[in-house]
Amino acid sequence: MSYAYLFKYIIIGDTGVGKSCLLLQFTDKRFQPVHDLTIGVEFGARMITIDGKQIKLQIWDTAGQESFRSITRSYYRGAAGALLVYDITRRDTFNHLTTWLEDARQHSNSNMVIMLIGNKSDLEARRDVKKEEGEAFAREHGLIFMETSAKTAANVEEAFINTAKEIYQKIQDGVFDINNEANGIKIGPQHSPSNPNMPSPAGGGSQGGGCC
Amino acid sequence: MDYFRKYLGANQGGIQPSGAETVERLVDRVQSSTLLDDRRDAVRALKAMSKKFRLEVGTQAMDILVKTLEMDRSDAEITGYCLDTLCNIMSNQPSEDDDESNIPSNEAEDLGTQFAEIFTKNQDNISLLLSLLEEYDFHVRWPTVKLLTILLMNRGKELQEVILVSPMGVSKLMDLLSDSREIIRNDALLLLTQLTKNNTNLQKIVAFENAFERLLDIVRDEGNSDGGIVVEDCLILLTNLLKNNTSNQNFFRESSYIQRLTPYFDLESEHTSSQVGWSAQKVTNIHLMLTLVRCLVSPNNPQQQSTACQRTMFQCGLLQQLSKILMASGVPADVLTETINTVSEVIRGNLQNQEYFASVMAPSNPPRPAIVVLLMSMVNEKQPFTLRCAVLYCFQSFLYKNEVGQSQIVQTLLPTSSDANTISAGQLLCGGLFSGDSLSNWFASVALLHAIMGNEQQKEQLLRVQLATSLGSPPVSLLQQCCNILAQGGKVQTRIGLLMLLCGWMMDCPIAVAHFLANSANIPYLITQVSASDNDENESIVQGLCAFSLGISVLFNDDSNETFNKVSLRQIIEKRIGLENFTDKLTQVPKTESYTRAAKKPHLHYKQPNEVIFDHEFTKAFKLLETDALKAVSSEAVIKEHQAKMASMQEHEKVVKQYKDLIEEQDQRLNESQNQLLQLQSKHSMAQQELKQLQELVQQLKDQNALLKVQKGTVVNHVPDTKMEAEVKSLRTDIENLRLQNAEKDSRIEKLASNSWFLQTDLTLAETRVLNQSEEDKENNPSESAVLQTTISRLQSDLQELRQTVAEKDNEISRINTQNSDALKQIEDLNQRLSSSSENLPGPEEVQKLIEEKMTLQERVKKSNEESLKNLDKYNKCEEEKGKLAEEKKEVQEELETLKKEQEDLLVLLADQDTKIEKYKAKLKEAGVQMEDEDEDDLLDDDDIDDVDDDAED
Repeated sequence: MSYAYLFKYIIIGDTGVGKSCLLLQFTDKRFQPVHDLTIGVEFGARMITIDGKQIKLQIWDTAGQESFRSITRSYYRGAAGALLVYDITRRDTFNHLTTWLEDARQHSNSNMVIMLIGNKSDLEARRDVKKEEGEAFAREHGLIFMETSAKTAANVEEAFINTAKEIYQKIQDGVFDINNEANGIKIGPQHSPSNPNMPSPAGGGSQGGGCC
Repeated sequence: MDYFRKYLGANQGGIQPSGAETVERLVDRVQSSTLLDDRRDAVRALKAMSKKFRLEVGTQAMDILVKTLEMDRSDAEITGYCLDTLCNIMSNQPSEDDDESNIPSNEAEDLGTQFAEIFTKNQDNISLLLSLLEEYDFHVRWPTVKLLTILLMNRGKELQEVILVSPMGVSKLMDLLSDSREIIRNDALLLLTQLTKNNTNLQKIVAFENAFERLLDIVRDEGNSDGGIVVEDCLILLTNLLKNNTSNQNFFRESSYIQRLTPYFDLESEHTSSQVGWSAQKVTNIHLMLTLVRCLVSPNNPQQQSTACQRTMFQCGLLQQLSKILMASGVPADVLTETINTVSEVIRGNLQNQEYFASVMAPSNPPRPAIVVLLMSMVNEKQPFTLRCAVLYCFQSFLYKNEVGQSQIVQTLLPTSSDANTISAGQLLCGGLFSGDSLSNWFASVALLHAIMGNEQQKEQLLRVQLATSLGSPPVSLLQQCCNILAQGGKVQTRIGLLMLLCGWMMDCPIAVAHFLANSANIPYLITQVSASDNDENESIVQGLCAFSLGISVLFNDDSNETFNKVSLRQIIEKRIGLENFTDKLTQVPKTESYTRAAKKPHLHYKQPNEVIFDHEFTKAFKLLETDALKAVSSEAVIKEHQAKMASMQEHEKVVKQYKDLIEEQDQRLNESQNQLLQLQSKHSMAQQELKQLQELVQQLKDQNALLKVQKGTVVNHVPDTKMEAEVKSLRTDIENLRLQNAEKDSRIEKLASNSWFLQTDLTLAETRVLNQSEEDKENNPSESAVLQTTISRLQSDLQELRQTVAEKDNEISRINTQNSDALKQIEDLNQRLSSSSENLPGPEEVQKLIEEKMTLQERVKKSNEESLKNLDKYNKCEEEKGKLAEEKKEVQEELETLKKEQEDLLVLLADQDTKIEKYKAKLKEAGVQMEDEDEDDLLDDDDIDDVDDDAED
């Protein structure tokens, strides 16, 4: 149960692009074909290993519907990583990416790692957005890009893990202030100061950063 | 203050400026003053008046206060006053000098709500307040928190919606928890508690903003259960965030926060040091901590969620800590009660936790299982009512989906295991069942009911229980004793408890029904109960349950009792009670309030002992069987259907058993065959090795053979080959000959056919000629018969010829047949030789060729056979024709005969005529006439004959 770091993720994107399915595939390794509308926000968690370190991912899967947009905005600030998802078989979901990105950039901390995901890659026959377009968009806006299939699990692990790797790298580079929990990063219990009554985490933070 | 005094003083004077006027003046001042100090003073004065003159200040000053908040934001003091004033007018909390106020409290409440509504209507006001939170100044931040809290209390829903959609709204509120000034942090807790009330989305966002971590930290830092009211507030907020919020529960569990709850219940270390007892705050805190645990494992949660939490609670030692509290001394009764309820829900339906609970021992001497100690409290009248309810709940939760636990409890009642020295659960339950306290009766009945609920095996086991009621009298079965007590009357609670036990016992258990019916007094008792009329609600419940018992004894009747089989019971019910009445009584039960209350949730949430009527599990079973019982009583068809169902079930079981046996058998066979397979495999591998060796040997031999062949040369291979070819060639020529002969025969047959045809035409011609002749007048024609005779003779000779050719043909056909068969034989031989030669000759191509040739030869032979067959057919036809011709010839000969006769007659006539003609000639000569006619007649005759000849030649 112990971990070196805890990263908070959010998953955003239009309704029906497969956000909840991606989460379910990642946490439970299963696929649910029936679209069950997410109300507000749902939570999921999983442990991964990067560079020999246990990292806990806490993932908030947000509702894609416009009516929930104001609620889901509240989750941007506290997240270290975001998966911005579109559906490769529906161009409109790709066209909305700009809006999503503006929203995310406006409400999140500037260091948030955003992974662009073109989901439903298993439906090649119905493809509406070329892979090159996704790549171009990601290049233009400085995002990481990947095409996934929540149904076949293709690239799902990679999407979550690569995002974590990017965050981990940013920590190594000192970009993230790991002592500010509003960044969506927490140092694990074994890295935090041994004295639980000491309220200031500053000492523990540098200690944790030092040993990593 | 002097300024203010002046106005107050004036009140006592003659010219009393009313509160409204003063407020108006102050408002005017705030509005018009250019100096900040003046405005500040005016607002301060308004604040002072705002408690007493809420209505006036509220109605007149609200707008200007909001404006001031916007305008004079830079001045913390005036902002503070503004906020305080707003708090005062919107607060419904009774102020310290409440007794001075002459406004009724309910009106005051209404007033605060109305002002809050007005204030909230403008969303900008809320945004303004949220932005004011960013001010660090205590005079601004603190009243802002208070004001938001008040607004949330008054206009909760609206404010929640506004905060939900205002960006960073929740974040700002959450940041307050980190404020170093405790008073702000503590008020922020109250604010967040109000904010998260009944709003799942806000609960989730607050949780997302690390609320759990921060709250758990505060509780820990404040000393857990020994902490003050702040701990209480934190726990309330935590409960708010978790109750009925699966997502947050999941987050709480996934983030390993359950583990952080364990130390809350570590009461031993500090308990020994302080003997004073528990402070009220500590009791409250522990209560809330227990509630928090119950939130996570509530039976209302999704099963999966609760199970996961239960598992974690066992793993992190939380259950163990709670069990310690159960057995600890000096714990206040209400805390103990809540602990029992909590333990109930932590173990409910989780086998591992249930097993742990069964193993918990009380530190008594001798040590007894905790279950026994708890049951002792349950059947003890002197224990608090809620505690006794909690024990029953705990016992039920222990047995819920726990067949092992059920059998353990029933085991303690069976005669084999009875040990007089130790008190067992069974003894306690029996004691409770037959004690004088009706509530004990009820508790014990329901506890027993849960020991056998849904477990047919235990139902049958429990039938074995015999009781020694008094010295000297024979033992009575437990079931019968229950019936006896029931019949004795007693309090409603006792009877309802026993009826539920009996019904539960007999459900799905025909043996128990038979046992119940064995005592002939039982059914009449139920009948009298149901047919009685009593308006008391509880009595009508008893009647309803009696009806239900009757229904069950019909429904699960196996007809083993002759007096009370299904049919007779049905008749009795119909006669004595009447179907309508029976239905009424039965359907009355679920309509009662106590039923609906018990059906809601498994937890026994009662305040008064007389509220205890129904058991939750029983209501579920009742709902399930109510209609079936009703149908069983009302229609025979349903009974039959049920019987069929039961029969089919039994049959099903039999079938299942058969299959099981079969599977066992098959298993054995499978094992055997697997062994065999192994043996065979080893043999196989051996054989393969041998085979390999043999193959090698063969290869060697082949090589040798090849060598030998080379040495021998190719002649050996060629000789039989040429022989074969020659034979085939000769066969071919044979077949060719046969064919030619066939063709010859064909042509001959053709000829014969045409000949016969000619013959036929000849015949017809002859016939017509004969006919002509017969029809002809008596003209003389001597040459005709000759002609006819020649034709006949010709025909005969033709026929002769035909016969000869047919005979020849016959011979020929037989000859061809023999030739054919010879040819076939030759081919056969050839085939044999071919096959033998093919064995000798490994050349596959040559063999193939030979086979092909053989095939073609065979085909040809076949064809020639067919042709000869055709010839035979033709020959047959010819013979038929020949027969016909013979017949025709006969006819013609007969006709010829008759013609000859006619001719002779004619000749006679002619001779007569000649003589007559001679006579006439002579007479004519005598008369002197010339004789010319005679010549003419002769000429004519000649012509006629020529014609006939021509015809015949045609």
